[in-house]
Amino acid sequence: MRRITVGGAVLRGAVSTALTISLMSAPALAAPPVDLSKWSPEYVRSIAGTQDFDTAGDCAKVTPLDYKGRLTFWYQGVFEGDPDLLRQYYKDFFETFRKTYPNIQLEEEALTYNDLLDKFRTALLGNAAPMAVRLQILGGTEFASKGYLQPLKPEDVGYSTEDFWPGAMKAVTWDGVTYGIPTNNETMAFIWNADIFKRAGLDPDKAPATWDDVVKYSKQIHDKLGIAGYGLVARKNAGNTPYRFMPQLWAYGGGVFDEAAANPTYKDIELNSPQSKAALQASYDMYVRDKSVPVSALTNQQADNQPLFLAGQLGMMISHPSDYNVMLDLQKKATGTDKDKAQTVIDNMRYGLIPTGPDGKRAVVFGGSNIHILKPEYVEGGKVDEPAAKAIICMWTSPEWSLKMAYAGSNPGNLNGFKTKWMKERLDSIKFLDVTTSMLPYGIPFPALPQSPEIMNIIVPDMMQNALTGAMTVDQAADDAAKKVKDLMGGGL
Amino acid sequence: MTIATGKAEARRRLQPAGSSLLRKIWEHRADYAYVLPAIAVMLIVIAYPIYYTIELSFFNTPPGLQLRDKIFVGFNNYTAILTSGVFWQVTFNTLIWTIASTFFSFVLGFGAALALHRDFIGRGILRAILIIPWVISAVAASYIWKWIYHSDFGIIGAVLVELGWASRPPNFIDSVSTVLPSLIVVNIWREFPFAMIMMTAGLQTVPEQLLRAAKVDGASAWQRFWHVTFPHLRNVSTVTILLLAVANFNSFIIPWIMTGGGPSNASHIWITHIYELAFGRQRWGVASAYSVLLFIILMTLGYFYVRALSGNERKDGSA
Repeated sequence: MRRITVGGAVLRGAVSTALTISLMSAPALAAPPVDLSKWSPEYVRSIAGTQDFDTAGDCAKVTPLDYKGRLTFWYQGVFEGDPDLLRQYYKDFFETFRKTYPNIQLEEEALTYNDLLDKFRTALLGNAAPMAVRLQILGGTEFASKGYLQPLKPEDVGYSTEDFWPGAMKAVTWDGVTYGIPTNNETMAFIWNADIFKRAGLDPDKAPATWDDVVKYSKQIHDKLGIAGYGLVARKNAGNTPYRFMPQLWAYGGGVFDEAAANPTYKDIELNSPQSKAALQASYDMYVRDKSVPVSALTNQQADNQPLFLAGQLGMMISHPSDYNVMLDLQKKATGTDKDKAQTVIDNMRYGLIPTGPDGKRAVVFGGSNIHILKPEYVEGGKVDEPAAKAIICMWTSPEWSLKMAYAGSNPGNLNGFKTKWMKERLDSIKFLDVTTSMLPYGIPFPALPQSPEIMNIIVPDMMQNALTGAMTVDQAADDAAKKVKDLMGGGL
Repeated sequence: MTIATGKAEARRRLQPAGSSLLRKIWEHRADYAYVLPAIAVMLIVIAYPIYYTIELSFFNTPPGLQLRDKIFVGFNNYTAILTSGVFWQVTFNTLIWTIASTFFSFVLGFGAALALHRDFIGRGILRAILIIPWVISAVAASYIWKWIYHSDFGIIGAVLVELGWASRPPNFIDSVSTVLPSLIVVNIWREFPFAMIMMTAGLQTVPEQLLRAAKVDGASAWQRFWHVTFPHLRNVSTVTILLLAVANFNSFIIPWIMTGGGPSNASHIWITHIYELAFGRQRWGVASAYSVLLFIILMTLGYFYVRALSGNERKDGSA
């Protein structure tokens, strides 16, 4: 494995610090509603439940409540891996919207994460897109760069740009113009089973500090207990893979480009840098050398890891904020001794920050979703009902609903959501929420480029699969991936 | 059918060829009117997409540009495909997938049809059971088989470990060397009932008198099969094999759901690769060029299929 030099460590430390500062502050902007520089579990608790908001009243200023219109709307909805609680909030939202705007004929369609981009792209080719769409954070730039989206900023629906995470606003900005509004943002955390740690001779209450520790712990768990240590995921065309590999890549100091820098330029390709190769080598060591991760990692998604973890067959994994609630739901559905086993695992669940790289750099994907309005020429019927679209966007991105719609699985895109009484309620009811929320300042958005979906969903997983199956060496796989990115950025076929 | 009189025939010979063609069309105007709606629909839903796919195959469609801003690149897409390593890997996979799936589905289906052609108790129930793989949803079957094969907690692996025949579950779909054969097994399981039904239908057309006569003449069971039954099944066999081959060339659901073409492209076949190029990577131009090549191959198979059908008709004396 690569040795990290002191100079390199200092440089990366500086970059890391600059990045953290950039994410925690909004330069040249008015003060945000919350103080991002004080961000900590304690601070989040201190502001929760301190302010009330009148959603209908605020949105009435954008679109009158008696407005008559029609709206077609697609959104990335709940899927099989989401907790039941989230399902209920989605149902509540659309019921409330219909009550608040009884004269808007809403035709909504929910699509899963993996289907939405394909279907939306196809619809756009046939000028049959919906009037408004809520897309994963990765998708906005692609459609903005192609000219499908209308400019749309928080001010257009009654909010302020400073009400949203600066990192999230980057993901809806293309060529200096804002094309959408963040609905929710989340970062993942690290989850482990304390009982498995204890039985494997590890400290049950201490998360692995570095990714090198993850490799060691995974091997120790596998060697001692015969079960998988770390929940590696390397399936292609699934959002889970980049969300779990990129934190590792960035922690080692690598990247696809310089996206982890404070002001990324996306000019130089770093996927085959020594740091990136070190990150890939760590995955190789776990999968090939130590065989300490699920063999099925190449076809697994995170939804496949959840039952393994709940069955006590997996020691640790990168966890979505919703995983705790998902585990509770799965436990409720279990029967007989399985139910007791699942409860034991839930009792032994521990959450911590995602491990750092060799030089102390900690990183996580800054995830979430954005909402956009389409240009009329790409919409079925050639017309967009803008007031109707703004009405639903105002409601979804309000402090109340951006919190409720992210209740169990994310965080409110509108920072004022952290001040609502529902935030206080979820802090009390959702275990470990403070830990996942604490990862937010370490969040790094995917490169804001139209090529990002292909890079993250295909090229990066391909690189992992090429290395892990032995089809290529780690060096060859990284070089091959870097070449593919270069060709892609060069407009090659 | 029209009957040409001597005068009409003489007139036809005197008229130029073009005029004769127009006259024939005119004489058959009612026939053309009957098929016109079908032709119109085909032009809209088949001919135009084919034309557009061919057109698109000569353009580059970078992810940052709309399709209408596509860039003309001539035959570059075709050159890029034919010189790419992935193309040959995917083509090799497609050939293995198609040949193995077609051959084993046919053999298994034929065997099952022969077995079920005999009269025995429970034949109807057994036939119904054997048809189940063909009638259940391919999507559901793919998910079920994914769990059967699961490299950590699959049923097959658990049984083998439990019986002490393996120390750890075999790696079926997470290994580049075993993934394609594993998927082919699933495909055969799903397709052999189709071959069974076709061959059962074929077996029912074999004249009983001939078989009885052969038996009276002292022919053994094998001789009766080889000299009487099999020649009668030649045409239905050809059609079945061609239909299976076309279906297998066009397969998508099983490899896409079970592995997404992975790991490391080891289970990518043409259709899954085209889908990924078009919808995952937005390389509409390259995907179209792939589709054109696939179209040519399938049309060639289609030609043989039509010829096989025509052969049937000629032998039946129906045309």
